[in-house]
This record gives sequence, C-alpha cells and structure tokens, in this order.
Amino acid sequence: MAILKMTHISKAFGGSQALSDISFSVGEGEIHALLGENGAGKSTLMNILTGVIPADSGTIEFMGKTYPNPTIRQMEKAGIAFVHQELNVINDLSVVDNIFLCREIRGKFGLIDKKKQFAEAEKLFRELGVNMDPGKMVSELKTGEKQLLEICRALYMNAKLLILDEPTTALSNDEIAHMFGILRQLKAKGTSFIFISHKMPEIFEIADRYTVLRNGTFISSGDIKDTNAHAITSDMVGAQYVDQEVYKPRELGEPVVTLKDFSGPGFRNVDLTVRKGEIVAFTGLAGCGASELMQAMFGALTPEGGSIRVHGKEMHGSIVSFMKNGVAMLAANRKENSVVPDMSILENFYLAEQQISKGRKPFISKRAEKQRYDTQKENMRIKAGSMHDNITSLSGGNQQKVFLGRWLNIGADLLLFDNPTQGVDVGAKEEIYRLILGFAESGKTVIINTLEIPEVQKVADRCIVFYEGRIVKEFAHSEVNEHDVMLYSTNAAELNG
Amino acid sequence: MEQKNNAKGFSLKSVGHAIGQYSYIVVFLIILAGYALTIGMNGNTFNFRHIANILGSQQTVIIGTIALGMAFVIITGQIDLSVGSSLVLTTGACILVFNVTNSIFLMVVAALVVGALCGLINGLLVGLCKMPPFVVTLGTMLIYRSLTLSVVREIDPAITGSSSSQFAMLSSNSSYELARMKFGAGKLKLGGNFSIPWIFFVFLAMAILFIVISRNTKYGKSIYAVGSNEKSARLAGINVTWVKISVFVLTGVCVGVASVLQACKISNVTPASSGQSYEMYAIASVVLAGVNMAGGRGNLLGVIFGAMSYATINFIITSVGLSVDLQNAFQGLVLILVILVQTVGPTIKESFRAARRKRSVKA
Repeated sequence: MAILKMTHISKAFGGSQALSDISFSVGEGEIHALLGENGAGKSTLMNILTGVIPADSGTIEFMGKTYPNPTIRQMEKAGIAFVHQELNVINDLSVVDNIFLCREIRGKFGLIDKKKQFAEAEKLFRELGVNMDPGKMVSELKTGEKQLLEICRALYMNAKLLILDEPTTALSNDEIAHMFGILRQLKAKGTSFIFISHKMPEIFEIADRYTVLRNGTFISSGDIKDTNAHAITSDMVGAQYVDQEVYKPRELGEPVVTLKDFSGPGFRNVDLTVRKGEIVAFTGLAGCGASELMQAMFGALTPEGGSIRVHGKEMHGSIVSFMKNGVAMLAANRKENSVVPDMSILENFYLAEQQISKGRKPFISKRAEKQRYDTQKENMRIKAGSMHDNITSLSGGNQQKVFLGRWLNIGADLLLFDNPTQGVDVGAKEEIYRLILGFAESGKTVIINTLEIPEVQKVADRCIVFYEGRIVKEFAHSEVNEHDVMLYSTNAAELNG
Repeated sequence: MEQKNNAKGFSLKSVGHAIGQYSYIVVFLIILAGYALTIGMNGNTFNFRHIANILGSQQTVIIGTIALGMAFVIITGQIDLSVGSSLVLTTGACILVFNVTNSIFLMVVAALVVGALCGLINGLLVGLCKMPPFVVTLGTMLIYRSLTLSVVREIDPAITGSSSSQFAMLSSNSSYELARMKFGAGKLKLGGNFSIPWIFFVFLAMAILFIVISRNTKYGKSIYAVGSNEKSARLAGINVTWVKISVFVLTGVCVGVASVLQACKISNVTPASSGQSYEMYAIASVVLAGVNMAGGRGNLLGVIFGAMSYATINFIITSVGLSVDLQNAFQGLVLILVILVQTVGPTIKESFRAARRKRSVKA
C-alpha cells in the first residue's frame, strides 16, 4: 500500500522547467532510493513534498489525505521529516535538549521537566537500539552519532516518512553499518524512507525500490532486485555514459616527495616516497589519519617529528612556501574548505595563484587572469556561464573542477587530493578520474585520499592503507580489491595473524 | 533561480540591478533632495555653497576617512570600536609634535605612526592572541581615551596649547597659518560660487586609494576571501593572521590621516569629549554603504556616499531649526529605514512575483 503518492508534479523556475510531470510513490515500510545526478530535480521534488516550495501543478497524497497547498508545518505534522545533508543539530545543547527542542515537556509552573525528558530520550534510544548518552553535549558526538540523533529526533515526532539526503557521506563504514541496522529495524515497524545517495553499493544493500530522475523528468522506477548498478547508472547519466576502464600504467620518474619518520597530529612514523608521474591512493577508515597526513604535506598542519622533502628540498613552514615549491592540496569538504561563497567563479579560481605572485605583481591584471581561467576551463571542461557568476551557482562537480583548475593554475606538480569526488555526481566523477590520470600522464604526481575502493581501483598505481595513523599495508594496482583493503583498514588482518 | 534575460526585459532589469547595487547613491540623492527642500522652505536657494559645506564637514571627511579603514575591518568579519578614542590620542600626539617642532611634515608623520601603532596593538591582540576583536577594541577604546585624558592634564599648557584640558595648535607657530587657515579652512576656488574645501581632496584621495586596493590588488581580494570563508582562504594560501592584523593597521593609518584633518580643521581636540561615538558613526556609514556586517561583501565606493549622507542629515536638522540633540535620532532612523528597505524589499518583491505566478497558472 502506498503511503505517499505524488502525481504529475511540475515546477518551473522562471523560464526553466525544473520538474515536468513527475509521478512518484513510496510504500509503507519501504526504503525508496531517489536517484539522479546533481540538478536532476531530486531536491526540488523533496522541497515540494515538504512544503518548502509550491508545485505549479500536480497532487500530493500522504496517508490517504491530499495536500493541495502544503506548508512546512502541515507536512511536518502529517509525519514527513527531512534529515538534511547539512546536519541541523545544535552543537551547544545536550542530546536530550536537541530532541525536545521546541516541543519541551513541561512540568510545574510551565518549566521544563528535565527528568521526564531524560527518561523519554532513554526509552527512545532503547527502542531504536541506539547507544547514546542523552546528557552528552552534541558537540562531543561524532558525525555518525549526530546523524542518528537527527533521525531519532524525527522519529520522536512520530515521523512516518523520513527523507534521508545523502546520509552516509560523512560516515565511516562502521557507522554506516550501524545506521543501516537501525533503518532495517524501523522499516520492519512500518516506517518508510526516501533515500537519496550517490553510492551504488549502499543503494543495493538497503533500498527496496528506486526511482531515477534526469533533467527534471521521470526516467525509470522499479524494484531494486530486478535491476543492477550498471543499468541504474545508465538511466541516471543518459546515453553519454560509458563505464570504461581508464587506467593505464605509466613510466615513473625521480622521487618527488619523500617522507621520513614523519609524524603529526593523527599520524605517526610515516615513511613514503612518491615518484614523478605516479598516482598513489591513501585509504583507511574515517579518522585513520590519512587526511591529516595530507594536510601536513601541504603545510596546513604542523608536523611533530620526522621530515618531508619535496623536489629534494626539506620543507617546513607555511602553506605558501609549500605552494611555491609546487605543492597543491584540494581539501576535503568543498563547501567548508574550498568555496569562498561571496566570490565569483573567476575570483575563486585565481585566489591561490595570487598568493604566490602578489609579491612580484601586487596588482590584478584582469586580462591575464581571464586568459588563465579560459585555459583551465577548457582543460577541465567546466560547464559554467559567465566567469563573473557566483561560485555557488555551479553544480558540485563543476565547482570541484574550478578548484582543480585553481591548483593547476599555480603550476603545481605535486597534487594532493583529499576526497576529490565528495558530493559530485556520477558523470562528473568519471571526468575527475580521467583528469587525474591525465595529470599523471603529463608528468604530475598525484596523491588522493579516499574511502571509496572503486575509486582507488580506477586511478591508483598503488594503494596505501592507514590504520590509526600508521601505514599498515601497501597494495599494487593489480592487488587492490575491496575485501583485502577492508581487512587492513579495520586491522582485522592483524587479529587473524 | 537565475535565468537568461530575454531581449525585452534586459534593459529594464539591468537598470533595476544597477539601482540595487548602487543603492547608497540613491539614498544620498534622496537625502540631498530633502536638504534642498528644507533650504527652499527657508526662502533660500540651494546652491553649490551648500554642497561644499557637506563635502568639507567633519562627518564627511573625518568620519568618512575612518570609515574607509573600518570597511576593510568589517569586510574581514571583524570590528574596531577603538577608532574614536585613537582619533583623540593620535590628534593629541600630532598637535603636540606640531606645537614643539612647528613642522607640518613631522606632524603628519607623528599622526600616521601613532595611528598605525594604535591599530597594530589591536591587530596583534586579535591576530596573534586570537582574542575576539569586539573585546580587544572595547578595551583599547577605554585605554586610548583615558591615557590621553590623563596626559593632557600633566603637560605644560605652553606645549598642549591650551590650559583647559585640551590639545590646541599654537597660533604663534609660523606654520599655523598654512596648516590651519590655508589648508584646514581653505577651499579650491573654481570660479564664482564654486569651491571645494581642500580637506575633502584628502578624503577623496584616501577613498580612491582604498577603492583601488579593494578592487585591483591581490591583497584586496584576500581581505574579502578572509571575511567570506576563513578556512577556504587559509587553504588557498592566504596568511589569514597577517590579513587580519593588516586591516587594523590600515584603519590606524586612516585614523592618523583623519587626525591631521581634525587638527587642521578644528585646530584642537578635547580628550574628554572629541571623537565621542565616532566608531558608531563610522560603522553606520559602512553599513549604509551596503557592506555586510558578517564580512565578505561590500563596495568601498559606497563609504563615500554613506559618510556624505550622514553629513547631509546633520545639515537638514540645523536648517529646519531642530535641536542638535536630535541628530543621533535621525541618523539612527535613516540607518534602520535604509537597511529595512534592503532586507524587507526582496521579500516583498518575491511575494508579489509569487502572486503573479499563481494568477498566470490559474489563467
């Protein structure tokens, strides 16, 4: 039985049709994967469902009731909860205060009955099998726990349908497994989910049905068990998608970067040499120290011991001194660490290069900057209108390409990419892999840090596995497979002897 | 959502866009028109002399100059509350130097150095010690004024130039005529009624300098980047600490320039009362100029008009014969009105648009 039926939904923003004639339904106790590239219309559809924006036409029926003009409040009351990608928990309050925010249980004199709230929260966690101290400050929780807290909060409001927008992006594999356990349990009790994700293995693990959107139109829908990842990917990206093997081995040159007994916050005693033209992948569980190591190799974190040599020169000091020696780092969490939201595409692009050249040439030459932007725009195949448009007007993939361009623009030849395909849709991911291989082909050295093993298999010459800040294993390209990497990432190999 | 302009809507839309972007000019013109009206009601004709008065007023040149530095500080997402007090300190110092040396050159050097030092102290505490700028500059605001106040009472009146707890330029100095009369009170005669006070050109030069820094230099871009997203700025290679310190020093230099103007225009400074609330007027001018208080956005050109708008309001109040006590009330009112229009305007516009869409869908 369908709990939610959206029929013939259309929506236009000004002249452009964001959604045309979409029909979409979710059954009771069903996990429904909503799929599509960035810009396919998933967010618009969900915003219409939750009453954030009105549809131009079409009907919404939820639990047998139609909502001609839904408002946010109405839909919340009806039992639809949106768990956003950006966590909406309040860090400076305790877990229990977050759950009861705006619906506090009142006791005598209208004051908050803290005891009762605490007991209710404990009961809720017990029922859901969540192991969390209700008195803890949210700022002390891990990302995965925060995500669970948001889900618990929605469930406390008696949500019948939860919309999970890329809930696993910031989670480690353990945390994902834990969350999926809880989802299955809730599903058995009749709660329904709309699950938005770009990660194929996850969808096949957890979802029952799927719907694919592309460019605001309905493409396909059906049971997960009747399809496969390749078919869904083709539906998502359309005809242009070919999942071809892009990897090719290359001739390697002299060492570009050498780490000796390199230690810092989160990583210890790392010895590593990477050669010209090589692509090395760092991997491990979230918090394994690979990201911190990468930041220290860029001067963004201060090392605590050992040495780093780049092009034979011993390095220490500021980020700019690393940049001047040809090192670039594309940071993880693009929105937080790369985007300058008040600036245009062009300004975001040239910012890094200017930090190197400002001593010699303090003034901006608009023509030269535009020329350099155009070069990289073509190299990266950035899809953007005017270079003076705001950076946030671009899709995730194109933003990421602008930042790749930012670093090539400084003439760097050691490229450190921390989680480069985060929040990027399938098509753009493939393009980024191709770009990375192209960089190596042209003699640049690339190190990527990623949690996704298929990504490692696509591009890396070798893969280095980290566990609690140390290198525990190195795989050559041909040896990389999901099972073995996981064995070492979780340190299970050690346990088995 | 952005969409392509069709040929018909283009010109109208871009005019609307330009007005939105340069709203501070519109605000200034409206206030100026109000001033012209009140002068007309008094039975006089509005002429160039009135404009010259606005250009050469304390509000425009002194607070305007300070506001330029303040704009940089605010664009980096910080605040400087100490400018009114450091103006007093710096003006005191430069008048002392003038009285002792009789040298305009040394007076200017003293003003710039002392101003920059005041800013450097703020900057170091904020940048290196990572203290909140609000707290640091609140502290130095109290310190700078109180120090000046205690010093002026200790020094021989023959050097301070006054026996009534103020610093005054000695009119017996031979350079007094040039600094005070020819420059401070002088005007560039353009023939007939047309003349522009010299001190306005100093402000204008400073404004142009700051506009160029903000638009055409790589340093200027890094100021905006730090205010917009500090983490991204740092990871793009920007030395965030240095940028934060530098904007305070630049504000100090602005205060130094403003103190020379104060000395030459007013010829004295009273530590107990001069420069009172100037930090607030400067911040208000910056906000009126459309600079985002959260940092990252703002146009330095607007600061010129923001400062002139406030100056004009003062003239309106005097010309309609209202009490000077009401000046602050009117300035506050205009500030709130303008920002109200800026914040509520888009919401109202959007709701009109939504209503129109609904109608067209039904039809």
